[in-house]
Amino acid sequence: MPFTFNINDYDNVEPLPLPLEDPSGPALCSIMYSDEYKEALGLLRRLLLLNELSVRAFNLSTHVIELAPAFYTAWNYRYRVVEHLVAEESKLVGDPSAPAVWLNRELDWLDEFTLSNPKNYQIWSYRQALIANLHPQPALARELPITQLMVDDDSKNYHVWAHRKWACAHFADWSHERRFALTYIQRDPYNNSAWAHRLATWSHDPWDSEDAFTAEFEWTKELIARVPQNVSSWQYLRGLCALHKWDQKLLQRCTQLCEQYNDESSYALEFYGYLCSRDDVNRGQDAVAAYEKLAETMDPIRSGLWRHKIELLRSKHN
Amino acid sequence: MESVISEGNLKKHVRFLKRHLALLPASKQSYDVNRLAIVFYAMATLSSLGEDVSHQYKENIAWIETNYIVRNTDVGKLSGFIGSASLNIPGTMTLSLPNTLFGLLTILILKDKQFIDKKIDRESLFHFVSQCQLRDTGSFVSVLDYHTNQPSPVDAHDLRFSYIAVAILYILGCRTESDFGKYVDVIKLVEYIQNQACDIGGFGTLGEPHAGYTSCALSALALLGKLDAIDPDHKEQTIQWILDRQVSNLGAMATNDISNEWYDENDHGGFQGRENKYADTCYAFWCLNSLKILEPNFTELCDTALVKSYLLDKTQDILTGGFMKNDEEDADIYHTCLGVATLRLIDGRFNGLLCIPDDVSFE
Repeated sequence: MPFTFNINDYDNVEPLPLPLEDPSGPALCSIMYSDEYKEALGLLRRLLLLNELSVRAFNLSTHVIELAPAFYTAWNYRYRVVEHLVAEESKLVGDPSAPAVWLNRELDWLDEFTLSNPKNYQIWSYRQALIANLHPQPALARELPITQLMVDDDSKNYHVWAHRKWACAHFADWSHERRFALTYIQRDPYNNSAWAHRLATWSHDPWDSEDAFTAEFEWTKELIARVPQNVSSWQYLRGLCALHKWDQKLLQRCTQLCEQYNDESSYALEFYGYLCSRDDVNRGQDAVAAYEKLAETMDPIRSGLWRHKIELLRSKHN
Repeated sequence: MESVISEGNLKKHVRFLKRHLALLPASKQSYDVNRLAIVFYAMATLSSLGEDVSHQYKENIAWIETNYIVRNTDVGKLSGFIGSASLNIPGTMTLSLPNTLFGLLTILILKDKQFIDKKIDRESLFHFVSQCQLRDTGSFVSVLDYHTNQPSPVDAHDLRFSYIAVAILYILGCRTESDFGKYVDVIKLVEYIQNQACDIGGFGTLGEPHAGYTSCALSALALLGKLDAIDPDHKEQTIQWILDRQVSNLGAMATNDISNEWYDENDHGGFQGRENKYADTCYAFWCLNSLKILEPNFTELCDTALVKSYLLDKTQDILTGGFMKNDEEDADIYHTCLGVATLRLIDGRFNGLLCIPDDVSFE
């Protein structure tokens, strides 16, 4: 049986029709279902009731998911059908590579579906279940092109970046990721997801020498110089330093860097205030001055926050 | 510049919301499995706008109740709400944690106290919530496997569902750690939430904070009475991270416009959900709800008058009624719900932890 939905395959299925609205009282949000939807749901409801795990059930799930991508039970059913068919096929065919062929075909379908439903929630957890539980030879390489296509299309899609990180963690391989993040940071230095991704690579795969850290620090400085008023690059720098562990030399480097930009970047000035208020820098007066300048001229919308930080500093020292 | 919704606009919002509760065209059938979500957004918002929904929709209560299902299964009796009667299939587990929360909240808004007290089978509902918790991570899925009644293998298990699980237990009367502990592993759940904390402040998946997840994490901890599980430094960082999400066109922020394609000076006063994104109506709620949990006097920290102007002048749709995501898209029911919720939250008249007006009684 081919892997396409054909209504004739269900001739001997007695549909379990969508229930008529309950006679107990008028319904809310009644939907004028299309005939196509009613027909598909009637069949799905019957096959679910019978828990039929078959190719035609698989094809029906494709059809229903295309009509209603948020239909969580249809995804769940599809997964169980795939699980069953893969097990059956490997028994029948006696070919150990058969399950991989099956799962790769399913991932191909999912790629297509994902590209046309980029904001759907279910696709990623379904995908992760296929990879983590069913696929006999899962590969990180299979995940890279689709996530890249998706990020090209929507550079800040949280779910895509989260799946990419999930895949790297699952396969314990972050080797492609620093370059991947770099591509998107260079394309748009305001892409916070790309910065967060690059920071994640360092916590999973730390630098092997002080020189490597310095190179990354200097590169970040260049990105800051390009657009000093960018929250993402300053946060990245701070995250990098926290991973390195703060020492006097690093504190001094950062303080000097901030001083270069304190008049044009509120993020530099905020970082400066943070550094000065640290116990190991202990320049409370400078911190207060930084927060006052933020409140008055550099970032007045948040004057409440900056006053709050001054209060915290004062209460700490009293 | 307005500071409240005018009488004329109020009428349009009410019409917009009531239209959603009536007959929906086939183009909306992909929402079928989550119909109760639409019902909740509309009821919560109408109620927030002062409509007497418990009177106006009295006749519909029986229908809402039909979405509550009790099932005998091989793991014991389970109960909860389904999003739509389409999912009522014999022998098939389709209860949903989000629709259970939406159903219960709608029942509360409609003052159907008798249903909560008498008709709900509490133990089986508690059992359903309990069954959705993953034993290894402490987090929650939103649905069980349709056949095995174990957590669905294909569902996500992020902070949304942790929050929803806790909110359901709270509505059903859990208040203390030992109350919650009867049904879920509170220690593992709190550990899971703590693990979602991001170094820069806020909460999110794998290190990138997100205002929606931040609100879920903080609301869950607040309902559990476990806000003290937040490290004091992370609390301060989170307050700052949230306040930093308010988009501004003043001071140094005004220099953003040239090279940052994700910046719009007209977003001034609104909130974004993440760094370097446009402002969006719903994030005003997720951010201010989070802030209020950490700092009850939040209006001293945040210029909420600007948030109000952003919502009323930019995302309120004065033609069709409702609120839009931003000033470019059509009004929709989700952003209408959270836009109105934010206005009431700022006025101190909203229960942000459960996302209902503060005059809805749940005791």
